[in-house]
Amino acid sequence: MSLRLKLLLLGLATLVLPWDGIRYAREMEAALRQSEQHALQAVSETIAASLQGRNGLLYRDPAAPAPARLGAYDLTPLVLTAAPYIDGYPDDWPRDPGAWRHYGAGAHRFGILTGVHDRMLYVLLEVRDPRLVFDAPGASPLESSALGDRVWIGYEDPQGAQQQEFLALSGPGPIFARRIEVGEYGKETAVEDPRIVGALQPTATGYDVEIAMPLSMVGTDFGVLLDDRDRRGAAPLSYGTLRSSDLHTLGRLIVASPSLTPYLAQFMQPGMRLSVTTPSGAVLAASDELAVPGVLAPEPGILTQIYRRFVDRQGEPPYIMSSAPIYDAAHHALIGKLQVTQAANRWEGLRDRALTRLLDKTLVTSAIAVILTFVFAAHLAVRLSRLRRASETALTRDGLVTQFPETSAPDELGDVARSFSRLLGRLGEYTGYLRSLAGKLAHEIRTPLTIVRSSLENLESEEVSPAARQYLERARHGSERLNAILVAMGAATRVEEAIGNADRWRFDLTPVIASAVSAYRVAFPERRFAAELPAEALEIDGAPDLIVQLLDKLIDNAVDFSPVGGTITVRLRREPDAAVLEVDNPGPPLAPEARGRLFESLWQSRSGGDSRPHFGLGLYIVRLIAEFHGGSAAAADLPGGVRFGVRLPFPQAPLLPNYNDNAKLESI
Amino acid sequence: MKRLIAIVEDEPAIRDNYAAAFTREGYLVRAYGNRAQAMAAFGARLPDLAVIDVSLEDEPEGGFELCRQLRSLSAELPIIFLTARDSELDAVSGLRLGADDFLTKDISLAHLIARVNALFRRLDALRRPPGEQGQMVRRGPLTLDVERMRVEWTAKVVLLSLTEFWIVHALARHPGHVKNRQQLMDAANVVLDDNTITSHVKRIRRKFQSVDPAFDALQTVYGMGYRWVD
Repeated sequence: MSLRLKLLLLGLATLVLPWDGIRYAREMEAALRQSEQHALQAVSETIAASLQGRNGLLYRDPAAPAPARLGAYDLTPLVLTAAPYIDGYPDDWPRDPGAWRHYGAGAHRFGILTGVHDRMLYVLLEVRDPRLVFDAPGASPLESSALGDRVWIGYEDPQGAQQQEFLALSGPGPIFARRIEVGEYGKETAVEDPRIVGALQPTATGYDVEIAMPLSMVGTDFGVLLDDRDRRGAAPLSYGTLRSSDLHTLGRLIVASPSLTPYLAQFMQPGMRLSVTTPSGAVLAASDELAVPGVLAPEPGILTQIYRRFVDRQGEPPYIMSSAPIYDAAHHALIGKLQVTQAANRWEGLRDRALTRLLDKTLVTSAIAVILTFVFAAHLAVRLSRLRRASETALTRDGLVTQFPETSAPDELGDVARSFSRLLGRLGEYTGYLRSLAGKLAHEIRTPLTIVRSSLENLESEEVSPAARQYLERARHGSERLNAILVAMGAATRVEEAIGNADRWRFDLTPVIASAVSAYRVAFPERRFAAELPAEALEIDGAPDLIVQLLDKLIDNAVDFSPVGGTITVRLRREPDAAVLEVDNPGPPLAPEARGRLFESLWQSRSGGDSRPHFGLGLYIVRLIAEFHGGSAAAADLPGGVRFGVRLPFPQAPLLPNYNDNAKLESI
Repeated sequence: MKRLIAIVEDEPAIRDNYAAAFTREGYLVRAYGNRAQAMAAFGARLPDLAVIDVSLEDEPEGGFELCRQLRSLSAELPIIFLTARDSELDAVSGLRLGADDFLTKDISLAHLIARVNALFRRLDALRRPPGEQGQMVRRGPLTLDVERMRVEWTAKVVLLSLTEFWIVHALARHPGHVKNRQQLMDAANVVLDDNTITSHVKRIRRKFQSVDPAFDALQTVYGMGYRWVD
């Protein structure tokens, strides 16, 4: 894992900040919700307390005792949000199965749904009647033989008098309510009551009837009775919410007082719903502004919506609810219940603004931290890799110390670079000292050696005993060896000098190599030489003298490492861009530690035992000369031998003046 | 009358050894340790030949300066440079100042004495009347006056140092024969390494080419040596 990646991961750790922010926001929200719940509870209890004992405010009939339990014939109308259209079809009534009351049994039964809206009482009857019998058309509604099915309404008027009216089923569509008035002489007449509107529609199982009438007509009690006939004029089967026998035992109509809704309205706020129910749970009055958007909950922005996705808990109801009981004045009987519902997101705008600000800040902080970390890491990595490159290239192959980039960075990395620089500087001084040591040594030894040699030579002219002459001879021999060592030590310096002074010209390698190989056959009779030379000319730019010297060193090396009688192969061949000169010898493979260092100055792997001085300069000279020609030197193991090769690139530049000496060279 | 050889050398042991060898050969020897001493003595009496070390005490190139001064006193006085250095640059500058030979100190005393003798012989030959012909080698455009160590190419004088002259002489005596480096060293009474021989040959070629750019008589036989071609 690169340093850059590690630091980037470290930077990403700052993302814990927004995550923490989200958690904080959630906790805040939970706390907020809880406190709102408490507040709402307080509100509901306050409102409930204000309603305590105020039966008259709750119910239309202030005298009526608190309906602790509903009687079988009591009706609790729904509080309708809109007036149903009186057409006999039930589709504009709320679908609320729990609000239906059922009467009758078997084939003769009906369900009744009552509702109030805007001081009107609405009744929906869903009657099961296998045989719907209409009144005879045109007949008087009081003529008993013409009577069909009939709906009776019984109620107590505000004056406390019992009233009954009937709706004769005259056919699909509007039906009318009539009251039987007993005139003089006991004459009964059916008087149409225009305050009551009704409509009928047959259904697959019977028929539906819708009735609307002003609440002001009705006092405390209200009931419905059906006269079900199987044929016109037959004796009816009567059943309903009032006892059929006398039409007088009515159930109560439990309805809120008209002033309850205005009373509740003063507590209303946007995003809130207030409802007052009977102790059994039937809604008396409700004021609903839940759907009205709160002034503090504007449409959230895109960023906020994204944040909400992280913050909102799944499955949390969007409302908070609270309820409080309403007691009578004596505070021992329940007369109703107050229920308050409030949109949970009432303070959404405020909260979102805070949340957005929090998350924006932490996200920006994280992003800046990540970017800064990344930039820093990249910068660090660049500096490190620069340092690495510099340290890799500071030492050249021949141990030369090149320039190390100076840095003034005042940090630890700068310290490393500076100590590296210092280290390399010292190494450079050391290497330079080592490199010049051989030359200096040779120079310094030369003078005392000259003293020794000239003294010995003078001594040879003196009269000395034969025994002394023997020592003299040994001393002379020793001094000669010492001289040979000096010459060998200075060899590389002299080759470097020769290279510095060398002239380049274009010449053909083939005859030069051929000529040199014939010379080696004479010089090293104990070795065989095989020459594999191309038939064509291989022209390079350079100094043939130096090329021969290079070959001399390769041959010296090959002779040293090959057994007597071994065959040394000298090969010259053409490659696309260079002439390749190779010398194969059947000697032992290269020492592993020698690989890559063979051509360095002062490197040698031979184990001595040879009277000739070796300073590991031969192959270094090979490399120097190869590099002078723009080429390179390499060594490789062969099966059963070793190959030293030199690549000498063909010239790119235009022709140098051809050297006339070379043109006339004959091979020998 | 004995010939006077001046040795200017800051190393007393070498100086005395050289002096002893020359004395043994029958020369009169005066030895000096630095340039001031030498110049003071040369002002009184010029030697017949001077052997000068390039570096003298605290003057790394005091020998060159001395050579220049000596040459201004006498144009003919043979001067041999001796040095512990083997830099080719030294050799070139030494010879440009008009030295007759430039030798490293690893030369043997015998070789040194051979050179000194040869230089005196040349001096003698030069003093003889010009009409008197000595031993001459003629190879085409080349004329070698062995005694005067004078070389002419196409009738123009080529100025060679003693070592160079001996190398040319060894090669030109047997044209077409390849002489290897060892043979050339023997002929030149000198022990040199291969690179030094190569640079001597290079210098000889350059000197001939300066009088005749088409000069091509001294050829390299790679791996073997050199030969003179008529």
